[in-house]
Amino acid sequence: MSIMEYCGAAIVAMVGKDCVAIASDKRLGQQQLTVDMEFQKVFPITERTYIGLSGLATDVKTLHDRLRMRVNLYKHREERVIEPKTFTHLLSHMLYERRFGSYFISPVVAGLDKNNRPYICALDTIGCIDSSSDFVVCGTAATNLYGACESLWEPDLGPEELFETISQTLLSSIDRDAMSGWGAVVHIITPSGVITRDLKSRMD
Amino acid sequence: MSPILESAAGFKFDNVKRNQLLSEKGNAAPRATKTGTTIVGLIFKDGIILGADTRATSGPIVADKNCEKIHYLAPNMYCCGAGTAADTEFTTSMASSQLALHSLNTGREARVATAMTMLKQYLFRYQGHIGAYLVLGGYDVTGPHLYTIHAHGSTDKLPFVTMGSGSLAAMSVFESRWRAGLSREEGIELVKDAIEAGIFNDLGSGSNVDVCVITRNNVEYLRNYVMPNERVEKEQSYKFAPGTTEFIVPKPPATLSGEEEGTAMDVSA
Amino acid sequence: MAPLKPGEVSMGTTIMAVQFDGGVVVGADSRTTTGTYIANRVTDKLTKVHDRIYCCRSGSAADTQAVADIVKYHLALYAAQHGEEPTVKVAASLFQEICYQNKSTLMAGIIIGGWDKVDGPSVYDIPLGGSLHKQPFALGGSGSTFIYGYCDKVYHTDMTREECIEFVKNSVSLAMTRDGSSGGVIRLAVITEDSVERMFVPGNELPSQYLG
Repeated sequence: MSIMEYCGAAIVAMVGKDCVAIASDKRLGQQQLTVDMEFQKVFPITERTYIGLSGLATDVKTLHDRLRMRVNLYKHREERVIEPKTFTHLLSHMLYERRFGSYFISPVVAGLDKNNRPYICALDTIGCIDSSSDFVVCGTAATNLYGACESLWEPDLGPEELFETISQTLLSSIDRDAMSGWGAVVHIITPSGVITRDLKSRMD
Repeated sequence: MSPILESAAGFKFDNVKRNQLLSEKGNAAPRATKTGTTIVGLIFKDGIILGADTRATSGPIVADKNCEKIHYLAPNMYCCGAGTAADTEFTTSMASSQLALHSLNTGREARVATAMTMLKQYLFRYQGHIGAYLVLGGYDVTGPHLYTIHAHGSTDKLPFVTMGSGSLAAMSVFESRWRAGLSREEGIELVKDAIEAGIFNDLGSGSNVDVCVITRNNVEYLRNYVMPNERVEKEQSYKFAPGTTEFIVPKPPATLSGEEEGTAMDVSA
Repeated sequence: MAPLKPGEVSMGTTIMAVQFDGGVVVGADSRTTTGTYIANRVTDKLTKVHDRIYCCRSGSAADTQAVADIVKYHLALYAAQHGEEPTVKVAASLFQEICYQNKSTLMAGIIIGGWDKVDGPSVYDIPLGGSLHKQPFALGGSGSTFIYGYCDKVYHTDMTREECIEFVKNSVSLAMTRDGSSGGVIRLAVITEDSVERMFVPGNELPSQYLG
């Protein structure tokens, strides 16, 4: 078994019309054993940039802490808030720095830039950026999510439409992945603020 | 080590021991995004034409359906990358910044041979562990130049080259139809056909064709020059009715990862 | 003698160099492979390291290119600092130093041939372990095993320039037909006091021989 499948995760981000959404499950496991049902995998980086971290839980925590430090340093040095694309490159370099001893993390970034343009992307464990104009996924349910996204996503969804689409995509995908599930959370990032909702899902 | 000094140059190896321990316990290391890839380059009458497909894969999964594999090196030089996606991305961007500094220092346009030497010496130092397989093309004061650079640091200088998993399919097209003195249109057509041979006959390559034409004083980057694999539009919408998903609004909203104005820095997890 | 790493580009290769009165003839096939795929069918394995000194490369393409580049740099520096051309012996010693000191990580079999005004024409062989051998003629690469007998029989010490060229063409051609890792065209260089003459025999104009 790969170390990337040790804890289990399902994270997805989608682009809508002047908004983006990022959603994740809440399970933390040690292989088949469920340890936590309220494990945070999606973190706010700024008021309009969020990151989803799938992979080994210890690295989720470590990387989030280090990112927090770097983003705060950026804010103090630059006297402005980091843009999602800039943040992605910061993250990319942090991951590639450990090219020969990587964090077991595959992140997803979602946010709105200063012109309210949606930005989403996924990275691999060593920092290769895979930017996309529709959706990105990661975690043990990635294959399921890819399939669901390919058929359910469509362009120019409004915030509420995007909420339904990303929620149903995530819920369908985690129903067929034993390693993820046990509750889910969705963040919809719009120019006027972030809407956060906990989904009702199967708890098995 | 002070966390402020964390950004010292070079690779970090502090996770290596832990990762080795984990892999000894039977936890396989994760696989990086690869560019299965067909990349090609040829010399034509007035310069160089580079070509690439746009598929990135992670094992059997298509990670990116429309990625860019023709990287910028200098105003007169571009470089196609195959192999480990992160390695090609970072190797070319590091070379690019070194070349920019080099031409600023010398006050001249950098030569293709300089870029080739920089890349081969960098890759040789890492003995193949940096998995970047490159096709380098450019036009400098000495004319057009085309090189392949393998991950171990060997280089070849040829009038037509292919690399990546689709290189065999693409090379068969070049071997049968390349000749000296091709026109611009003939060259682009040949590059397009070679990439398409990779797209359709190699599973690691797919999606669209990117082309880059480099001549004496001009570069034309033809992103998605042809798109032979466009998805047909869905006939029906899969939009869900409002209220399909049951949810609650959680009590404490997620905390921001920085301190708020006038409040203490958030030091909680 | 590091084995070839997975996916590494190798020059299966047939290379040779022969001394005659007044110069040296160096020759090589032109095949470069990655596994069974021919990555380059017109490779130039005869690399100039100084005006009248060439090396023939076999083994890992990356390793031999790196070594040749380093030696080339040192010879240029030597010429500039001493105000005179380096001898073939100096070049060969540089190659040996690098090949011997790094024998555990390198995969490089190199033949050095050239002319200098101290020793005239000379040929040096540096096989895998990094030892240095001065020889009147030298063979190298995977294809050489097929032609040692032929070369020992045909070679004699007072060969002329033309006889040497024919000798190299015939020998490399024979090796290329029997060795799967060698092939393509034959590249030659005749190094004398006055000039370096580059020659090349296309694959369809190889010397006639039994082809089964």
